[in-house]
Amino acid sequence: MDWQALWLSVKLSCFTVILLIPLAIIVGRWLAYRQFKGKSWLEALIMVPLVLPPTVIGYYLLVGLGNQSVIGQWVEQLTGQQLVFHFSGLVIASIIVNIPFAVQPIQRAFETIPMDIRDAAACCGMSRLRIFFRVELPMIWPGVLTAMVLCFSHVLGEFGVVLMLGGNIAGETKTISIAIYDSVQAFDFDSAGMMSLVLLLFAVSALALTTSMSKRLGGHNSASQR
Amino acid sequence: MPRNVDLICDISQISPIPLEAHFSCRAGEVLAVVGPSGGGKTTLLRMIAGLTLPQQGHIHCGDVLWFDAKQSISLTPQQRHIGYMPQNFGLFPHLSALDNVISGLDHVPKALRKQRAVDWLARVNLHGLPDRLPAQLSGGQRQRVALARALAREPAILLLDEPFSAVDRETRERLYIELARLKQQLSIPVVMVTHDIHEASLLADKMILISQGQMLQQGKPFEVLSHPNNEAVARQMGLRNIFDGQVVEQDIERNMTWFTLGDELIVSDSVPALTIGQSIRWVIPNQGIRFNAISSARLCKSLNKLEVLIESVLVMGESSRIIASVVGTGSMINADVPTHLVHKLALGAGMKTSIALKSEQIHILSNGRESSQH
Amino acid sequence: MFLRNIINTQFFYPLVRRLRAGGISLLCAVIGLVGFSSVSVASDAPAIAAAASIQFAITEIARRFQQQTGLSVRISYGSSGNFVTQIKHGAPFEMMLSADEVYINQLHQAGFTQDEGVIYAIGRLALAAPKGSALILDSDLVGLTQLIEDGKLSRFAIANPDHAPYGESARDVLKAKGLWDALQPSLILGENAAQAAQFTISGSTQGGILALSLVLTPEFTKRGDYVVIPDALYHPINQRMALMPHASATTERFYHYMQSPAAQEILTQFGFNLPKTVTEKGD
Repeated sequence: MDWQALWLSVKLSCFTVILLIPLAIIVGRWLAYRQFKGKSWLEALIMVPLVLPPTVIGYYLLVGLGNQSVIGQWVEQLTGQQLVFHFSGLVIASIIVNIPFAVQPIQRAFETIPMDIRDAAACCGMSRLRIFFRVELPMIWPGVLTAMVLCFSHVLGEFGVVLMLGGNIAGETKTISIAIYDSVQAFDFDSAGMMSLVLLLFAVSALALTTSMSKRLGGHNSASQR
Repeated sequence: MPRNVDLICDISQISPIPLEAHFSCRAGEVLAVVGPSGGGKTTLLRMIAGLTLPQQGHIHCGDVLWFDAKQSISLTPQQRHIGYMPQNFGLFPHLSALDNVISGLDHVPKALRKQRAVDWLARVNLHGLPDRLPAQLSGGQRQRVALARALAREPAILLLDEPFSAVDRETRERLYIELARLKQQLSIPVVMVTHDIHEASLLADKMILISQGQMLQQGKPFEVLSHPNNEAVARQMGLRNIFDGQVVEQDIERNMTWFTLGDELIVSDSVPALTIGQSIRWVIPNQGIRFNAISSARLCKSLNKLEVLIESVLVMGESSRIIASVVGTGSMINADVPTHLVHKLALGAGMKTSIALKSEQIHILSNGRESSQH
Repeated sequence: MFLRNIINTQFFYPLVRRLRAGGISLLCAVIGLVGFSSVSVASDAPAIAAAASIQFAITEIARRFQQQTGLSVRISYGSSGNFVTQIKHGAPFEMMLSADEVYINQLHQAGFTQDEGVIYAIGRLALAAPKGSALILDSDLVGLTQLIEDGKLSRFAIANPDHAPYGESARDVLKAKGLWDALQPSLILGENAAQAAQFTISGSTQGGILALSLVLTPEFTKRGDYVVIPDALYHPINQRMALMPHASATTERFYHYMQSPAAQEILTQFGFNLPKTVTEKGD
């Protein structure tokens, strides 16, 4: 049982969610409220990480963020460390890969807010920020929760991207899904089974918890929609 | 209530939807914006609120310039300080009635907000339900909360979008009375969108008729109803009896115009500038058609007696719709008659009877046969 | 209950407001943490890349190394092809043990190694089958031929010949025996030697041609049987290793340890042949 790998996975999931969700809220809100030319192209672009094989994404990220790339070299100059084969690179990769999981549910949630409510909120004299926190956020909360759960569980299970970009270095980029794979490769099925079970329990409880929370919050919202 | 200011609105645009409106609404006046669905009424209201921007024009409220396309000035809804009640009330579903009203009280110091909100709810006659969520309130109660929220803002103007359409008949009647009462207390312009002309007649001091983005007529509701500018307006106002005629004679001094309806001669009090022999279109509202004038044998110059053959009588509760053809002309008359009168006069299909058209209610539409030339 | 109280309007919004106030600074802190922290505990133990097919032997050698010297290394097992790409893009591996020579040569040509490296072992093949399989094991592959002719072979595993050296050699063997074409419909390709071994003992195939070093382990022999395939049937699988330019002292010691008698003994145990000219290059 590789606890270090599990901790790494959990850390990766947490960082991804914390950084991605606010970004997804901004993007989701913008997409929900605006109509413009090329909007469907942009939405399709956001979906791209869903259809590309993770190893392909991992490869392109390696090329784009590695020490032969502009970004990679700039970061190395700035911080003395690389992005790739480093935990920070995994976080960036996870954020990119999970964009559709985060943006989609949140955008849909914003779209369900009736125009009347938004109009009334503006006419009540509340500033945009205040409207967001007082009116919109409570109404989209189930969507945000869904996005958080999807991203969290997806990152926990991420394999191809992490392997390609991380290099499977223990303590740095060897997440639990890779540890499981390694165990299987080494015919250590007991260990693999144990870790898989732990991962499964973890993911299922996280899902159950957030689903039940989502029901409580969503309850009084849905009943009041006309 | 502060600010005795007037609203002046002059806007026009071609896209995304065509809209042209020029009107004003004085402080303390209720202006009804009437017209068919999709005609641009809600868009106009949202433009006044600042929720969308017209392409051209300007909007003033008192001395404050709210919007001017030429100078690229546009105040946000927050800056315009308006009270807005959207069609479905727009109550925040996760906040209680009290909290909804408090949302409009950002301009009041925090400590006073709760009490102020309670006061406003009392003022719209909503007692004892401050902690209820909108889902737990009836339609009429929700409407009052929305109204309280809009008024709590102490706005410069009040905008209502079809305020009564989502409410049942009985509640609507009560709310009419409330709004009429409130109107007296408020000294701000109130702009109300409605598709119901009857509602406009009851509540509004002034109305404008908007159809397909064009402002067809403005004026007091009664005026527009009795003196529609043209056939389009007449139809919008629900006037069904529009006919052709040819001018026979005019007597300007005595306010009389004679024209033909088929072979019959009709006289009207309406005297626009016409020439003999000119073709006209004329209209008569429902109140001008009398069925029981026949019972009295008196004839005076204001009666236009016509023989009609009743084609059908459709009883619809307290009122009945009678469709009859005018003998010798082929024109059809559509009249709403109280059912008790139908029974009293024993009116039925296939029956021949006489009706009278009141000359003072007959209105000659300007531009003659303009409807067909458009 | 508790959660409901938290979400209760009176609590939630003040909480959210306070969160928002600290939110921006929290975000900055987090980014800083991510960007600048070196979270790894074992950043002192050098990272070494090794082909998956040699994992059992190398793990044992690394263990002995630590026993003898007290120094430890972090070995990452994977596909040599992937490692090459990663090293080219900045992977911090200080040494690479490949399952063949091609990849080390590539890295050397591209300037990513100190020198052309040395051959540390010569890999060998085995014909293996899960216990209870219908495949009869013999070093001439007669049993396999029989099974194919009877039409009873449904699945057979080898590593992917396109990028795994053990797969290439497996192909050599099958072609030498004239079985390559007949086997096509039943062939399952593992992404690397270890996965081919996986397929073989998982019971989803009737057998495979695998790396001998993988097959010799107790974990394998518990579940499957094998027979060594004669070296003559395939080109020798020369396995080369090389140091990267920035290799630390620990890694260099490990490099040399790999060529020591102690390591060679372990390699032999795991079924590797030893290079005859081990002292000519490198050490």
